[in-house]
This record gives sequence, structure tokens and C-alpha cells, in this order.
Amino acid sequence: MNGWIGTTLRVDLGSGTIKREPTNMTVAHEYIGARGMGVKIISDEVDPKADALGPDNKLVFAPGPFTGTFAPSGGRYNVITKSPLNGTIAASNSGGVFGPELKFAGYDALIVEGQSATPVYLWIKNDKVEIRDASAVWGMTVADTTEALRADTDHEAKVACIGPPGENLSLISAIMNEMHRAAGRTGVGAVMGSKKLKAIAVVGTGAVRVAEPAAFKAAVMDSCEKIAANPVGGAGLKAYGTNVLVNILNQTGGLPTRNFQEAVFEDADMIGGETLAANQLVRPKGCFSCIISCGRVTKVTNPLYAGIGEGPEYESAWGFGADAGINNLDAILKANFLCNDYGLDTISMGATIACAMELYELGYLTQEDTDGLELVWGNAHAMVELVRKTCVGEGFGKRLAEGSYRLADSVGHPELSMTVKKQEMPAYDPRAIQGIGLNYATSNRGGCHVRGYTIAHEVLGQGPPTDPGAVEGKAGLDVAFQDLTAALDSSGACVFVTFGIGAAELANMLSTLTGFPYSPEEFVKAGARVWNLERLWNLSNGFTTADDTLPKRLLTEPIPSGPAKGQVSRLAEMLPEYYSVRGWDEDGVPTPAKLAELSL
Amino acid sequence: MRIKYFATFRELTRENSYQLDDHLPDVASLLEVLSDRYGTAFRDAVFDQGAMSPVMILLVNGRNVRLTGGLATPLAAQDEVSVFPVVAGA
Amino acid sequence: MSKMLMIYPNKCTGCRNCELACSFEKEESFRPGASRIRTLTWEREGFSVPLMCQQCDDAACVTVCPTAAMHYGPEGSNLVELTADLCIGCKLCVIACPFGSVRYDSVTKSISKCDTCAGAPKCVEMCPNGALEFVDDAEQTRAREQAVADKFKTIFEDVR
Repeated sequence: MNGWIGTTLRVDLGSGTIKREPTNMTVAHEYIGARGMGVKIISDEVDPKADALGPDNKLVFAPGPFTGTFAPSGGRYNVITKSPLNGTIAASNSGGVFGPELKFAGYDALIVEGQSATPVYLWIKNDKVEIRDASAVWGMTVADTTEALRADTDHEAKVACIGPPGENLSLISAIMNEMHRAAGRTGVGAVMGSKKLKAIAVVGTGAVRVAEPAAFKAAVMDSCEKIAANPVGGAGLKAYGTNVLVNILNQTGGLPTRNFQEAVFEDADMIGGETLAANQLVRPKGCFSCIISCGRVTKVTNPLYAGIGEGPEYESAWGFGADAGINNLDAILKANFLCNDYGLDTISMGATIACAMELYELGYLTQEDTDGLELVWGNAHAMVELVRKTCVGEGFGKRLAEGSYRLADSVGHPELSMTVKKQEMPAYDPRAIQGIGLNYATSNRGGCHVRGYTIAHEVLGQGPPTDPGAVEGKAGLDVAFQDLTAALDSSGACVFVTFGIGAAELANMLSTLTGFPYSPEEFVKAGARVWNLERLWNLSNGFTTADDTLPKRLLTEPIPSGPAKGQVSRLAEMLPEYYSVRGWDEDGVPTPAKLAELSL
Repeated sequence: MRIKYFATFRELTRENSYQLDDHLPDVASLLEVLSDRYGTAFRDAVFDQGAMSPVMILLVNGRNVRLTGGLATPLAAQDEVSVFPVVAGA
Repeated sequence: MSKMLMIYPNKCTGCRNCELACSFEKEESFRPGASRIRTLTWEREGFSVPLMCQQCDDAACVTVCPTAAMHYGPEGSNLVELTADLCIGCKLCVIACPFGSVRYDSVTKSISKCDTCAGAPKCVEMCPNGALEFVDDAEQTRAREQAVADKFKTIFEDVR
């Protein structure tokens, strides 16, 4: 077998049963792997109405066929499950090295079922799989857990684990691997915590095979050249990381500031990638088989916020920065280091604190609620303290751990939570950039930018000149991005390869690797299949067109200042066309014709 | 007119921003004046065989000049111009 | 003049493309255990370094090999070579190498050591960050010297 391995591992933590099953190759061909395969497994095996934190939810860890090969930046894996944050079918994507190690150990997917009564971890060495007692590491941070488990298993083991927030079922908790990489969004950490699964340690000594070695290598070298020649994929991301976007978004007038009250931040330059590169950057970092190296190894020497780790990404720097009116980059890094070491989604954490600050400003939260902290805009010290409290589950941190929707709702003002389907939106203002707003509203896992990153065209100069303020053509743009991204997420490739290559190159690499032919159209169609299956599952769980919306602020309150002053999101003008391009009816339900076309 | 530089343009110009008191009619003449000021490396980063470099993003008051006529985009005395390389995504 | 593999650890991002390139070159598949080059990573600090056979002039592995399977390459080649047919798998070379760069591959049941891919090392070809170079020994430290000299130029070029 080439690309794929042909074996899936299934572990039931309730009964302790461990099974190695043949991978369903029809599913592998139609859904490729990773996100697609996981979505198909959850769709087939988990009732949409199941309790996300109950024994009937399943947690799928799935790399893709590219994972473990030298397909450029092709080493990713996905965590797929029913989200406890919002009940959607959530696929959370992570880099690092864990995914490839699962492939070398001999698996296309790991399906975790049931719940353990006591804390456990999985130790996988090739075909030897054990469920081991994790009581000694339960409660430990991510880095300490990783090192402790390596001492008990193998020095070279790759470890995916949760920290105390995941153990305490925080709805915004993440699953971390290699200490600094995150399957961050949609509360997947809490699902792992609900199963009392602290960690998975893997060592693999097997091989990922190639159907047509010479052709695959040629396809890979061609893709590498194109990515290297692209100014973003080539030099840009490596030099500045993603955080260089702070100034770009600010100058465009679309940098959400102070909980989306404004769209320009007066101190943007103090927290952007240029400042990071000058002050705290140690060196770039890359995931397995990555040729882009957007990762940042960073260090803070200021004793108030000292630490060394990785990040922050743009969204993280925004969440702890502009969204909270904070201009202290050292504090932002500290917040990011804490979230990595405890396993929290930095986007949701930052945005939840920003929401808390607005609630405090308006008097809906008082100092009594906030353990005496003054949640005024720009208070970096309070922000870091709130992150710490959320990490360790102390005081007001316990409320923040539930995310901004539940926080705002608890004081009677859910409209002040900047979320879609209860998940916090990241760092692009839909009032200034229409296409990303449509993507936020229609993303199958709630407010998310990577599902359909139209920013690449609307702001970053990729593709033909595209006016961020226009609604024409955005429906088609969103669908195109969403489908290609879904296919790409299912292959194991990193979305950043799109700065350089597209469906043609990806399909070519996939075909020569697996020996199973994919045309570019079939590759994208697989993505559409994944997207529609996710949609169907969400609809079965009670989501409707009413949920494909944005917070009232973005639909009705014009941006007060800056280049996009006076604009609102014109979602209502784009959504009907979006449904139509998707082949859905006017309620956003896939038509029988569409389902037949996708073999659903 | 205020010109702000970001990412690699800060290294090319060794400045974060520049206040220009002369009124220049359009983006083309602005880039000529700036190229004279900063030298060949800057010129090569903003022009590509007489046309605007495809790996530069130039905003006038937040609007991408590719949408407003490119090099022919008119400039007013109080405009704010931002110059970025095509450099990232997230 | 002969070539040597230079390492620039400060440029290594830990991506392991070098290992994948080596494995693919030798076996047309991706199995890190097959790679003659290995990248070691410190996760907390985000530091990585690639290591491979240093092709020693006075090689411990050549000294201990009982069958001369491990021997020096042709004059001027800067290589230590393994003739697989003569190897009896005694693993004395694995024990002797002070760098840990000679390994016994239990999957293929053979000794595994870098041979620079007959002068066109694939790890160098694949490294996206310039952390590996295959340079003429006359040029071996040129990149480092250049980097330092460039800094002096920046300071002094306008000073009379």
C-alpha cells in the first residue's frame, strides 16, 4: 500500500479493547484522509445528538497520505470529534511531528472510543499498543507530561497530550503535540479530558511507501520550487512569521480592536511581526517536512513575563493584543507560552478576555466577579493573570474557560460575544473584508478563518485584484477556498502550500504517491464531499440557516474610524448566492442532486 | 503626505515612515521620487520592468492601488500611503 | 580538492527533510530508520541540529573493522566507505564511532552510514534552509566568514 498504510487502530477506553482493523480504502479514496477520513468516521459512528463529553463521542486522530513523506509541508494530522464548545463536527488541525510518527507506527487513523474511569495514556510502538495508568502525570503541564512520559516509554516518543484545562473539560482547551503545536480550536482538549485520556505517546519504525517514486519526486521538486518562488511561501513567512499581518490588517482598516468595537489599533506596530523579529525572535521553526518554516522560536527576558517557547501566531498576538487593546508584546508572548504549556486555544482565550473587558467596561462584570482585577482595555498585567487563572482553573478563570459565549450569556448579553456558532472569530473584521465574513458565517465548525482563507486574495495580493469591500464574486470565492482547503486538510498538507501551488500540483503529488489517480477536479470534489458531509451532520444536530450569521455588531454597527469607516458586513447580500453556488436550497440544505453528485 | 513602510521595506529604506511635503500627482511619480531617495534595491522592489512590482502591496488610505488604477492612482496632499511586500498569510 | 558536508545548526528548523531525502534515496520509501543523517531536536528551546558521518581522516570505524569492509575511499576523496559484501555485521564500527553516526539498521540487517550519495548528497538538495552544504574544502568556511565580514562592511564602509 502506498501513501496510506491500510491499518486503522481502534481503542475502547471503557472496555480496554484494542483492535487493529483494515482501513476502509473506499473511504480513503473518496475522503483522502486526515480531516475527510475523520469526518466520515464520526459521521458514520457518532450520533449527532450524542453528548460531546459523554462516552458515545469518539476522538479520531488522523494523518493524511502525504503525512510522513517529503511532500512539501505535508506532515500534518487532524483531530476530529463532536465539539463540546458548539456541537458541530469539528476537525482541528495540527503540525509538528506527531502525525508522521503515527504513520511510521503503521496507522492511517486512531479512533478512541468510550471513557476510562481513571486517568490513562496510550503507548503505541508500532503494533504494540498499551493503555497505561496516567495518574502520575494527571495535572501536569504539557511540557512536563511530555518529558515524564518519554522517560517511561521511549526517549524519542512523540507525545500528544492535554494539560489541566483539558482535564477540567474547558470548552476552549486544546490538544498539544511536541509541546508547542496545537490542535487548538473547538474544545477538542475537553473531549480527550472527558475520556480521561491524558496523552498518546508514539514511536514508529515502519515506512510510508510510494507508488511511483521517480514521478513523485519530480512532482515534489516542482511543488517545492513553486512554493519557494512565491514571496509568501518562500521568504516572507520565514522572515516574519504570520504576525507580520498585524500591520497589514491595520493599514487596511480591518484589524478588530477592543472586542470588534473598532477596526484600527493605534499601537498595532508595537505588537506586529517586525517588532517581534527585532525583539523576541530567536529563530524560525518548521514542522515535519516543512519548507516554509513559519514557526517562531521566541524568548522573553523581561522578568515579569520571562519564558522561551514558540509563537505567537498572528491570531494569537491579535487575541491577546489588539482585541484587548494591549500593546505589550512581552505580555502577549507570556500569554501564548502559558496557553501552549497548559493546552488552551489562544484565539478563543484572547477573544474571551476581550469580551470580558467589554462586559466589565459596561458594568456587567464587576471587580467582585474578576477576583479584584481591573479588566480595563490595555491592562496587560490583568490579561496575563486571567490567562494564568484559566490555565490552572482558579476563580474567574473557571468562567473564562467556558469561552466568551457562555460568559456573555451568563450576564444576559450574548450579543457581546464575538462568535459564530459559539466559537470566537479570529483577527479579520468582516465589515472591512466581506469575503472572510461570509466564511466565518458558513464555516462548519463555527467562527474560523482557515476554513476558507479568502484574505489571501482580499488583502494579501494573491490572485487577481480583489476588493475587500465588495460583495460581488465573494460567494464563489468562498466556496472555491473552502473546497480546496477541505481537500488539502484531508491530504495532510499545510494550508500555507497554497502560497505557491494549487489543486493541480496537489493532485499530481497525491496520485504519484498513492498510485490512485486524482485529477485536480476530483481532488477539489473530495473537498466538496467533506464540506457537504460536515454540513449534513451539523444539520442533523439542529443547526439551521439562522446559525449562518454574524454578531449583530458586525451586521449593524459601522466601523467608526479608519480606511473602512462606515462599513458593515453585507452578509445578507452574499449568503443566498453562497447557498446557490453550493448547490443547496434557500435554507442551506444540500439538495438531493448535489448529494448524488458527491456520492453522499 | 505620509509614507509608511512595513516588513522588508523597513530594511530597504532603513526607516519606518517618511513625511513628504511635495505634492505628487500619482503613485508612479511617488515611487520614482522614493526610488531616487532610497536607491536601486528599493527601485527593484517597487517596479518590475516599468510596471508595478507584483510582489508589493501599496495602499492609499487603506485601499489597494491595484483596485484604483495602479501606478496611475491619483494622490492628494493629505493621503497616507502604506508599502508592504507580499509577505504572509495566517 | 574534494568536498565535505558542512552543517549550519543555526539554520536548522528541525524539519527533517534531510532524513526523508536520504531514506527515499536509499529505499524509495520514507522510513526515518533508513536515514544516514539524523536531526536531533530540543523541544523546549526549539533548537535542532543535523548529524551525519564525518568521514574522519583517522576513522575509528576503519581501525576496528575486522574485514576491511569499512575502509578509506580513493586518494583525495575525503570519504570513508563501506563495502557491503565484506561486512559481517559484527557492529564493532557502531561501537567505535564517537559520533554515533554509524548505525545498525535492524530492518534491513545492515550497517548504515552516510556515503554522500556518490557526490550528489540528497540531504543537501532537499534542505530548505541552507543548514547543509556540500562544499569544496577550499570554500568550507566561506559562508561563515562572509556573514561576519558583511557585518564589518556595514559598520565601516562609509568610514574613511
